[in-house]
Amino acid sequence: MKIHSLRARIIVFFVMLLVTVQAVLFVLVSVSGRRIAEQVIGDELVTGERIFGRLVVQSTNRLADAARLLAADFGFRTAVATRDVATIASALANHGQRIDASLVMLASLDGRLIADTLSGDPIRDAVFPLPSMLDAARATGRASGIVLLDGRPYQVVVVPVLAPTPIAWVAMGFAIDDRTAADLQSVAALEVSFLSRTADGRWTLHASTLPPQIRGRLASRRGELEGMSRLSSMTLVDEEYQTLVPVLGESPEGRVVALLQRSKREALEPFERVRAILYVLGLASLVFTVLGSVVIARGISRPVSRLAEAARGIRDGDYTQKVRVETQDEIGGLADSFNHMLDGIVGRESKILRLAYEDSLTGLPNRARFREAVRDGLLTARRTDAALSVLILDLDRFKAINDSLGHPAGDDVLRIVACRLRETIAGTDMVARLGGDEFAILLHGGMGDYVKEVTERIFARLREPIDLDGQPVDVGASIGIACYPTHGEDPDLLMLRADVAMYDAKRGHAGCATYDVRNEDGRRHHLSLLGELRRAVERDELSVHYQPKLDLRTGGIHHAEALVRWMHPERGFVSPGEFIPFAEQTGYIRELTRWVVARVIRQVDEWRARGLEIRVSVNISTRDLMSDDLVPDVEREMARGGTPPGLLCFEVTESGVMEDPARALATLDRIHALGIRLSVDDFGTGYSSLAYLKKLPVQELKIDRSFVMHMAEDANDATLVRTTIELGHNLGLEVVAEGIEDEPSLALLRAFGCDQVQGYLIAKPMPADRFEAWMLERTATAAPPPALPDLSLPRTRLSA
Amino acid sequence: MWQRIVRWTAMLLPALACIGSPQATTLVATVIGPDGAPVPQVVIHAMPVSGKLPATPPKAAQMDQVDKEFVPFVQPVQMGAAVTFPNKDNIRHHVYSFSPAKTFELKLYSGTSAKPVVFDKPGPVTLGCNIHDWMVGHLYVVEGPWFTKTGKDGKGGIDLPPGEYLVKVWHPWLKDEPAPVRVKAEPTGDLQAAFRIVLTRPPATTHDKR
Repeated sequence: MKIHSLRARIIVFFVMLLVTVQAVLFVLVSVSGRRIAEQVIGDELVTGERIFGRLVVQSTNRLADAARLLAADFGFRTAVATRDVATIASALANHGQRIDASLVMLASLDGRLIADTLSGDPIRDAVFPLPSMLDAARATGRASGIVLLDGRPYQVVVVPVLAPTPIAWVAMGFAIDDRTAADLQSVAALEVSFLSRTADGRWTLHASTLPPQIRGRLASRRGELEGMSRLSSMTLVDEEYQTLVPVLGESPEGRVVALLQRSKREALEPFERVRAILYVLGLASLVFTVLGSVVIARGISRPVSRLAEAARGIRDGDYTQKVRVETQDEIGGLADSFNHMLDGIVGRESKILRLAYEDSLTGLPNRARFREAVRDGLLTARRTDAALSVLILDLDRFKAINDSLGHPAGDDVLRIVACRLRETIAGTDMVARLGGDEFAILLHGGMGDYVKEVTERIFARLREPIDLDGQPVDVGASIGIACYPTHGEDPDLLMLRADVAMYDAKRGHAGCATYDVRNEDGRRHHLSLLGELRRAVERDELSVHYQPKLDLRTGGIHHAEALVRWMHPERGFVSPGEFIPFAEQTGYIRELTRWVVARVIRQVDEWRARGLEIRVSVNISTRDLMSDDLVPDVEREMARGGTPPGLLCFEVTESGVMEDPARALATLDRIHALGIRLSVDDFGTGYSSLAYLKKLPVQELKIDRSFVMHMAEDANDATLVRTTIELGHNLGLEVVAEGIEDEPSLALLRAFGCDQVQGYLIAKPMPADRFEAWMLERTATAAPPPALPDLSLPRTRLSA
Repeated sequence: MWQRIVRWTAMLLPALACIGSPQATTLVATVIGPDGAPVPQVVIHAMPVSGKLPATPPKAAQMDQVDKEFVPFVQPVQMGAAVTFPNKDNIRHHVYSFSPAKTFELKLYSGTSAKPVVFDKPGPVTLGCNIHDWMVGHLYVVEGPWFTKTGKDGKGGIDLPPGEYLVKVWHPWLKDEPAPVRVKAEPTGDLQAAFRIVLTRPPATTHDKR
């Protein structure tokens, strides 16, 4: 049996200990009690025997004294000498009465009975009935003993009648009867019986102090006395007696024995009492021990279970339960420590919660907390059929503030914006900071007036200039909105869609946009592309193709445009038009640009080493322009091979420059400073002003293919192209036309004075090795450029 | 005590010798114990086989009480002799005898020598003192004049006229009397008789001298 409960173990231990100790004690007391009792009985019997011996001696002396007194009486002696039998008999009776003797006899020297009080009339010449005693008296001058006379026991003393030599013998004796036994019992506190055995082996019970029925039983069992050991045990009527059998007298007439008995039950009675007390004591102490150990064990186990329960509560997150401290002992101390621990846990957990759910800069809830709030809000909304809106707000031009005024200023702006947003939002609505300059707002309401009103309030608040150490700073924001249940039913989707809407708003400079489900498919495709695009670089699925640019003035090829090609293992060729804008959107374009630039620089160096000097143009995106890393990276790549900066040209789009002109300009200036040529790509598609173009440190203008492709058929386009070419030349820029696909367009461009052309008519973009082969073939044949019709259009230059 | 007995014997012997003269023969009886040692204080008595006794008047005898003892312890006397019991102590004595040969009692005071008691029957007479239980004396009353008592050397002599005699010995502690010895007294020559006897001292009683 295995006991698991602490309480039960304590109780069982104490109870078993007690029971064992008491059992041992009980057995010891019982065994030793019995042994002691038996020993005591034995001692009592031996003492009784000794006392009996002394009593016998005493009465012998009494008898002897009385007999001697009688024998010494001169008158009696005279009577004896003269055989005056009547006088003798009366003297015998008289002296016998004095000591209450049972018999007095006078015997002649030759053993004849002269007188006898026992049988009344002395029979003349009768023989003295105790010849053996007479013999003993003759031998020693006196005799005493316990003898059988007429079958009955007597204690007899025989002394001589001296005159002065013996002339007769006086015998005097006490009968041994119940009175003798009672006397002895009163002195020795033993049961006393007297028995005799005649010479022919017959036992007779003569006297006893035993109760009548026991005495009767003893009488019937007297035969057992034959061969009985001196000290033995005897059971008479259910009563066990320790028995001592001293032999009192042995004579030819028979043997007289005493039976000294002590009831064992009586002797054991004190021990039985002790045993009974022990019983009661044992039971009582058992009960008290059980009760006591239950109380003590409960005192230990109850607080322990309570502690365990409290610990389980803590595990389940219930911190309200404190353990009640009742005692001052170790358990109490434990409970106390436990409560302190609980306090500590509660404190630390709330701190962790704060850290986990709070943005440390602004004190607003963080993304995780916001997400939970959206989730909770959705649960409620679903239950109550209410609508819910998630707004994502992103500050415009925050990076510029951060870069120009420093991060502390940027943090101040974030704090102030957070503060204003908090002031704008009330009740159960929530403002959170998701990270960077991105905030999120949870509104309990669907598309409609409420959301509109809140967004207006936000914009109104944000329009107020922020005062940074006396310097007013303007911050704008774009807000994307997604609503439950229209735009999604789970927090992540809503937040994602609000984010998408925010980007839409930002791109469209619309300030605020609601998620538009129509954009979803393309985006999803883009999203999957992003991961693949990252892998594409690692797996070398990307390659750079080179499209030559024909110099119309010389008819030679000195320039080429580097174009990224993606050969997807499953999708096959992926159009740059598909993944470049996506890369731009996700910011991955920076890595892509860096990769292309590095590849191009290496290629240029390779060709240069083989005597092929080609200036290669690389498209630089808006994000690249906004990045401070571009210039140092390019510088480092160029330094590696000692690439002449003149062999590189960066093409930037109008719109890219226009998004943050100041910043773009700064980057362009640095590129220019490196000596790298700059070209404005897709010219004509944007809304950039010429004045702005003038400020840019560019050397080249690239007319967008949309104008070039149809100029042969469309007169308007042709005019536009010619004007642009003239404009470029007037600004001192070289003009490149791309998208040449037919001879008439080429002829026109040549006529318009375009400096360089690029397009399928010249060559498609080719991998580096093919490009090189193509170039070698071209120079080897030394074929003149295809015969072009000379349109004889005068080359005019607009004055700057 | 024995010394006194010897002394008295020594005084008596010459007297006896004078009586027996001139034709008398001296019988020397020797009494020894079982170990061969001589036994004193043994009465030796010779009776003529004929039974004829001379008409010799008996001599008076005396039994003293000295220092709470009878002196001598054994005293043979001739039948008819008057014996005096002088009390030599300065205390009282109460001399008695319950013997069949002579029963009497004498209450004696210090120094009293009462009237002599005549012992007219033969046989032993045990004397006691009723005051002092341990005092025991023995008179042996014999017929005729031919008796004596052994001395320290266990010998006793009797002058006998010629004739045949039966010689007997007696002592109070004598258990079994030895058979009488028959002797014939001749006018000349000595007579010898030897007796081997066993004396049994009676058991001590509480009546010891104190």
